[in-house]
Amino acid sequence: MKYLLISLLFIAGCSTTVPVIQKFPNATPELMKKCESLKKIEGDKVAITDMLKVVVHNYSLYYECSTKVDGWQDWYNAQKKIYDGIAK
Amino acid sequence: MWILSILPEAAIHIIFGLGILGTIAGFVLGFIPFVKTYKLAIQVISLLVLVLGVYLEGGLADYKEWELRVKEMEAKVAKAEAESTNKNVEIQEKIVEKTKVVREKGRDIIKYVDKWNTKEIIKEVEGPERIRREEVIKYIENCPVPKEFIDLHNQAAELNKAAEAKK
Repeated sequence: MKYLLISLLFIAGCSTTVPVIQKFPNATPELMKKCESLKKIEGDKVAITDMLKVVVHNYSLYYECSTKVDGWQDWYNAQKKIYDGIAK
Repeated sequence: MWILSILPEAAIHIIFGLGILGTIAGFVLGFIPFVKTYKLAIQVISLLVLVLGVYLEGGLADYKEWELRVKEMEAKVAKAEAESTNKNVEIQEKIVEKTKVVREKGRDIIKYVDKWNTKEIIKEVEGPERIRREEVIKYIENCPVPKEFIDLHNQAAELNKAAEAKK
């Protein structure tokens, strides 16, 4: 008992950690969607208009995907700004 | 200091107070018969209790300061989480709106291309422009895209697969 009390006295100054947990921010659901694969031209005898339609569709897919990349950049910059605000 | 989490704050003040009282009794009130009898013991024990009291009081002050900082940090984190959620909503709306515009514009262009397929395009104009458009439609109907070009287009559309295969 005596030794226990002495050892308790010795470790009385030991620190305890007080956790402040910051959750990793969730990404916007729209950003988590994968970019669609580009469309291929089907058939052997294809009119130039049909080919053009596929090309236009693929351009749309490109811009949809590029919007997501821009979104990720916005998301990162915004989260970094918020995180830096806490660290100050 | 873990001991502060199990020891009530009042106990620390009591230890400190007892240390002070004991020290005063041991060093100043020596003329009292009881104190006079146990003077040395009172002095030694009181000094030890005083040292422990000072130590614990210091620890308590430090602990309170840290607790305050933790509360400040928790408030900051809560604010940041709310800001982050708001920003996510803002970004989500922006992406949804941009995607909608891109899709609509793409559909409009495809509808316009379809007007060449359905020959609707020639009804919109008269005169030489109509004749020119009829010529274009004849070209569309009679000149399919060579298979080689279609294959090249399809290969280009699957460039990502080539990159994935190289992984």
